[in-house]
Amino acid sequence: MITLTHFLLVSAALFCIGMYAIIAKRNAIMILVGIEFIINAAILNLVAFSRYDRAEYGGQIFALFAIVLAAAAVAVGLAIILSVYRKHQTINPDKITDLRD
Amino acid sequence: MIDIVFYVFAIFTIGSALAVVSLRNTAKALFLFFFVLFGMAGLFIFALADFVAITQIMVYVGGVLILMIFAFMLSIKELLASIQDNSSRLFTLPNWQSLIVVLGFFLLLSFAITDWLATTPNWISANQKTQAILQPTDNNIEQLGFRFMTKYLLPFEVISIFLLAALIGAAHLSRKEVED
Amino acid sequence: MNVNFHISPELGSLLVVLLPFAGFLYQLIAGKQARSGLIPSLAMLVSGLISVAFVFPAIWNKTPFSVELEWFTIGQYSLGFGLHLNNLSVLMQLVVCLIALPVHFYSKHYMKNDPGIHRYWTFLSLFCTAMLGLTIASNLFMMYVFWELIGFASYLLIGFWFDRPAAVQANKKAFIINRIGDLGFLLGIAAVFTTYGSLNLLDLFGPDGLVRGTSPLSEGWATFTGCCFLLAAMAKSAQFPLHVWLPDAMEGPTSVSSLIHAATMVAAGVFLLSSIFPIFNQTVLLLTAIIGCFTALIAALFALTQHDIKKILAFSTVSQLGYMIASIGMGAWDAAMLHLTTHAFFKCLLFLGAGAIIHELAHFKSNSGLNFDPQNIQFMGGLRRFMPKTFLLMTVAALALAGFPLTSGFLSKDAILVHSFQWAQQAGGGTLLIPLTLSVVSVLTAFYIGRMIIKVFMGRFHFQKETEQTPIQEATSGMLLPMGFLALGSLAIGFSLHPLSYHQAYILTGLSAATIATESSLIPIVLPIILTLSAAAGWWLGWYWYIRQRYPFSESNKWIAWSANQGYLNQAYERAITNSTLRLSTFTYWIDRNLVDGLVHLSVWFTRQLAFTSAWIDRYLVDGLVNTTAALAYQIGHLLRGVQNGRLQNYLGFAFTILLIGIVYLIFK
Repeated sequence: MITLTHFLLVSAALFCIGMYAIIAKRNAIMILVGIEFIINAAILNLVAFSRYDRAEYGGQIFALFAIVLAAAAVAVGLAIILSVYRKHQTINPDKITDLRD
Repeated sequence: MIDIVFYVFAIFTIGSALAVVSLRNTAKALFLFFFVLFGMAGLFIFALADFVAITQIMVYVGGVLILMIFAFMLSIKELLASIQDNSSRLFTLPNWQSLIVVLGFFLLLSFAITDWLATTPNWISANQKTQAILQPTDNNIEQLGFRFMTKYLLPFEVISIFLLAALIGAAHLSRKEVED
Repeated sequence: MNVNFHISPELGSLLVVLLPFAGFLYQLIAGKQARSGLIPSLAMLVSGLISVAFVFPAIWNKTPFSVELEWFTIGQYSLGFGLHLNNLSVLMQLVVCLIALPVHFYSKHYMKNDPGIHRYWTFLSLFCTAMLGLTIASNLFMMYVFWELIGFASYLLIGFWFDRPAAVQANKKAFIINRIGDLGFLLGIAAVFTTYGSLNLLDLFGPDGLVRGTSPLSEGWATFTGCCFLLAAMAKSAQFPLHVWLPDAMEGPTSVSSLIHAATMVAAGVFLLSSIFPIFNQTVLLLTAIIGCFTALIAALFALTQHDIKKILAFSTVSQLGYMIASIGMGAWDAAMLHLTTHAFFKCLLFLGAGAIIHELAHFKSNSGLNFDPQNIQFMGGLRRFMPKTFLLMTVAALALAGFPLTSGFLSKDAILVHSFQWAQQAGGGTLLIPLTLSVVSVLTAFYIGRMIIKVFMGRFHFQKETEQTPIQEATSGMLLPMGFLALGSLAIGFSLHPLSYHQAYILTGLSAATIATESSLIPIVLPIILTLSAAAGWWLGWYWYIRQRYPFSESNKWIAWSANQGYLNQAYERAITNSTLRLSTFTYWIDRNLVDGLVHLSVWFTRQLAFTSAWIDRYLVDGLVNTTAALAYQIGHLLRGVQNGRLQNYLGFAFTILLIGIVYLIFK
């Protein structure tokens, strides 16, 4: 039997992997990927709970919206990364430490 | 039987996710992200959310992932060079402090989940009694369509404007500098 | 002129002393310009004239004159300065003037081209001033002052050619040995003052003087006093063992040697002893006689084998001084003064003649280009053909020295020797040795001076061949005239109407010592005959050996070497005294260098170590404390600064960590 717990555990694992990617990767694009993992984990969480909500379908609706938001976030994020690269010549967030002078 | 398939999918997804964060070569990592998203879609199917799964594939894989790969591949050579790590190792060494934090979080979350779901929440057990649980034979698309047009109409409209704004914003941010 | 123009004897003697002093001052001020020596010579001439005309006749055999002014007072005692003119002092004064004058004129020619001649005139004037001052001194202290000045002037003149190291050594030696005598003089002055309470010559030795009246404190004290003054005379008059400076003093110019080291300065000791004769007791007199006799003998022995003409004459001077001192020791100080006077004339003449020979030979040497020592008699010979007048004059002086009849030397030596035999008869015992020794010395004297004359003037000149191109000149008349004047003084006629008997000598009639009353009638006749014959025999022997080349002794005869090396006395002194003094000075220098300076260095070292330690403490402990505090602050800041490094992911990591910790804490609360 696939219970809610399984889904939630998978979601938690994916969430943590995403968090690792955000904290530990030296590449802005990988940070973006980490953000995607986290959003995906959230979506899985929502969908898992929506199984028990036949009346409202709230989880699935929210999941769809979340997908849209994630896409928008990626688009804008990539544009920001491009802009940052133009300014600092690198996308290693460790190198981008100074405030604008 | 169906559990095994679920486990396969789950392990596939998580394994690919681990590979994504461990690989040194960013291009390879992005391709593996592809597998993660497909695995996620499979998992959605198991949660009886077929529309969400399809949407995931269409939007995420076909849109976001392609966007990322195109952005990565068609970027300036210097950008590629700066993020290409040319060392011979395949996997990166994990950052230990982050690993510890992340593991701590995972343990915390799993502990919280198992603890909370030891007793089924009230509303779920209530719904289980009244059979308000999704059945595999449900027509999700029709039900979702109804909900979109009636109850969740406002968010629907707002998100379309939001998408417009995001589009314009992204386009503006990434325009070339005007040469004077 | 004498009738109208009269100078009192006291003023005259003051002028006699002050005129050479004026010459000295003039020379000092004029410096290098005053090369002619006109002013000093003129001053000396006037002094001599005053002495001859106004001082000597006024005092000799007339009333003596003495005056003293107070100089300074210490407590109850006062010392003065003034004049004391009696027979003895005016005689000495006359001798000095009569000898100094020819030497001045001779020096003008002898030192003609010397670059330092202005200094020569200065020192010569200083010496004349001091010597004349000695003769008029009224008390012992004043005598001491002039005594010292004489020694100093001698030092300056011996070392006149100061670029020669031998001259510098010689003048140092002379001064140091004279100092020993000066010490004796000072001790004597102190003893006299303690015993009698006065230093005035008139008070002490006058007709009713203190010395005759008061008895001395003790016999030993009297002996001590006498010995001190004897020591002074021994140093100044070059008696054994303090005679070693006189041969070395020959490094000075010959005219200086003739004046100072033959006639006047070395005679000052004799003059002193004669002046204070009443102070000596029998012990001291006997000692004086022995010393004088021994000196005469040993100097004559040394003179026998010397090759340097001036050294022969130097030893001859020492020997004759021994005669004079011995004569004083035997009580006949009047005979000693007579001998002093005659000796002054003929010895000065001998030296001037030697100077003329050396002068001409030096010319010959530079003209002919030969390289030989112009003072060495081995390179001379046959000079009578080249310098006949010099030969004549020197022979006269040599005859006087040897004591041949008709010379003045015969008179004075006869006086001394006869008296010595009479004294020995009186004193008895072993004292006969003294007159016998003196007689032997007389024979030796004749021999060595004969040797000198023969080797220098007879035979063939050593460099006869070279004289064909560059002949040897006779001495100039500027040198010969003073020598002639002195030769006149060497003849007996000047001293006594009867040339063979000394009893009528003018000087002896003026001075009167308490001579021994008894006379043996034989000795005064026999002795002169014996002495004359033996002197003649000595001259013949010299001719036989040196001209006929029948010299019996080998070159390396031990006795010859002993005599030629002056009995190795100089070496003995060097080893005994000089080396130990040098070692002492080296030792004290070592002490000063290592102990005294070492102490200073040690304290310096301590202070430095202290400084280093405190510097270390300051740098590492005190500063270290400050620096550590600063470093600590820096390190803590550095640590905490790392939190804010601008890295986004670090911030996120921190946030999540805190979040985790917070949630875990909340769960477990």
